[in-house]
Amino acid sequence: MKTQNPLFPLYIIWYREIILYFRNILKFFTSIFAPILILVFFGSGLKTIFPADILNYDFVQFFFPGILGLSCIIMVLSSTISIVWDKEFGFLKEMLVAPVKRSHIAFGKVLGATTTALIEGFLILLVAPYLGINLSLKIFLEAIGLIFLLCYGVACFGLYLASRLSRVESFSILTQLVIAPMVFLSGAFYSLKNVPLWMIKIAHYNPLAYGIDALRWSILSLTVSYETLSNLTLFSFQQALLFLIIFDALISFLTLRVFKRYLR
Amino acid sequence: MENNQANNSLEVIKVENLSKHFGPIKAVDQISFSVKKGEIFGFLGPNGAGKTTTISILCTLLKPTSGKVTIDGYDLVKQPHLVRKSIGLVFQETILDNHLTAEENLYFHAMLYGLSRREFLERKREVLKLCELWEKRKWKINNFSGGMKRRLEIARALLHFPKILFLDEPTIGLDPQTRNKIWDYIFAIRKRENMTIFLTTQYINEAEICDRIAIIDHGKIVALDSPNNLKKMIGGDLIIFRTENNDLAEEELKKAFPQLLLKRIGKELKIEISNGDEFLPKLIKVVTPRITSMELRRPTLEDVFLEITGRRIRENEGEEHRKFDLESLIALLNPFEPLLPKEEKNNHQNNQK
Repeated sequence: MKTQNPLFPLYIIWYREIILYFRNILKFFTSIFAPILILVFFGSGLKTIFPADILNYDFVQFFFPGILGLSCIIMVLSSTISIVWDKEFGFLKEMLVAPVKRSHIAFGKVLGATTTALIEGFLILLVAPYLGINLSLKIFLEAIGLIFLLCYGVACFGLYLASRLSRVESFSILTQLVIAPMVFLSGAFYSLKNVPLWMIKIAHYNPLAYGIDALRWSILSLTVSYETLSNLTLFSFQQALLFLIIFDALISFLTLRVFKRYLR
Repeated sequence: MENNQANNSLEVIKVENLSKHFGPIKAVDQISFSVKKGEIFGFLGPNGAGKTTTISILCTLLKPTSGKVTIDGYDLVKQPHLVRKSIGLVFQETILDNHLTAEENLYFHAMLYGLSRREFLERKREVLKLCELWEKRKWKINNFSGGMKRRLEIARALLHFPKILFLDEPTIGLDPQTRNKIWDYIFAIRKRENMTIFLTTQYINEAEICDRIAIIDHGKIVALDSPNNLKKMIGGDLIIFRTENNDLAEEELKKAFPQLLLKRIGKELKIEISNGDEFLPKLIKVVTPRITSMELRRPTLEDVFLEITGRRIRENEGEEHRKFDLESLIALLNPFEPLLPKEEKNNHQNNQK
């Protein structure tokens, strides 16, 4: 038996994630339409509470980067945390008995999840102009890059959590006690600038808050003035970007360490 | 090293004093055995005897607590990568990707094992024809029946030319006809590929087909031989009967035939004797309590198991349900806690007590 390119297993694990995303038509469409529905109905509804003359920006436009980031995050979390089931009842076993490096399984899974999130992000971004957001090619690419940075880190984080779950039953508690607070404190639904101090303090440890602030800086840069944006975001673009990169590096390392132990 | 390779030709699996503990529970306790090349070797035992734990260790899914295992000449703990290359595995539960077609499932496997495209195409045809799934190769797994899924799993396990095929309860949950069919494939595979097959089962009739079987109970191998030799452990025939008053019947029989091998198992009395048919009339004369049922038969492996362990193989079934525990959640949220495997934690607690 000849040995092939050692990255083939990594590729096929990544490829499987992509196939599964497109094969599951229902999941594909809901992943695109749910955020758009939230933007259109929820956003337009909330807009009436704060009339435009009080806020000097459109609430739906404020809402957009948050919902974009969140829906991508939920996407990667759901596909990486599902590895808990996969290990117990599913396909992960087939990969585990194969002569494949553990790191390849981890990164195949993480990159697969990130790619599906990028596809989703790309499609949602196409909606932005219809909400009155001015996009340029540079902003578009920048936003995709930021989604990648954010989702990669969160995917690793999901895998990290999954690797530490000793029982499948703890899963629902995990979503309630870890994921939900992170989502609410991400600044997607409201600006973190004016919330009580204790919330701001917690938000400083929340990678999602950095990711969504970075997205907001990037996507709204042509639509909303610099002053308004600095009033809406907790972190500057540079801060957020730096944090995301450090977070990604750190969590990759941690995840790999935990994941290897989890599997043997 | 040379010595090692000389052994390889005969013994493809060699297990010495293998143990696996889960906390205080000894799932596998100091077992040793070896499997010869081209053999069908069976592990027979009740639920929870340690069959799946053993197979998981041999397939590198679990780390042994102690002991030495060599598979195809490779050390299990030091060279898991090489061991994985030389084994094929069919799990107890169905592990196929439901959204993919049969062919794609095989393709995925081939890529994981690093087969070249040409090798894959040739081999795919071979294994699918062997398991009679060639016409259905474009079907999605969703539309497969239980038996077809099992066959596909066997085909997949064969794809990368493994030297040893591991089957963990290959026929569990299948109807008798499908079960027979699966066995036909297993025999065909052995004949064609000259493969060593290691399987676990809790069905007596399946164990009888194996070349050699190890009977395992409470994590220990209690007997290991060919089915025929094992059955010879029980001399001749078996008479099993029930009476309305077993105590009295036992007493009477012991008085009349002091040499008799008489045992009481639950509500039944069991006699091992060389010519059972001649003994039956004598027995009926001696026993005064009314006999409610009586049976005379050749011993099966079930009797061997009963003889050795004093229990039936499928006596106490029923699974334990795990409960949710807060401890694991706290462990999850605590970033500073060292990552101890569960078993070590339990050990630690026990020591403190």
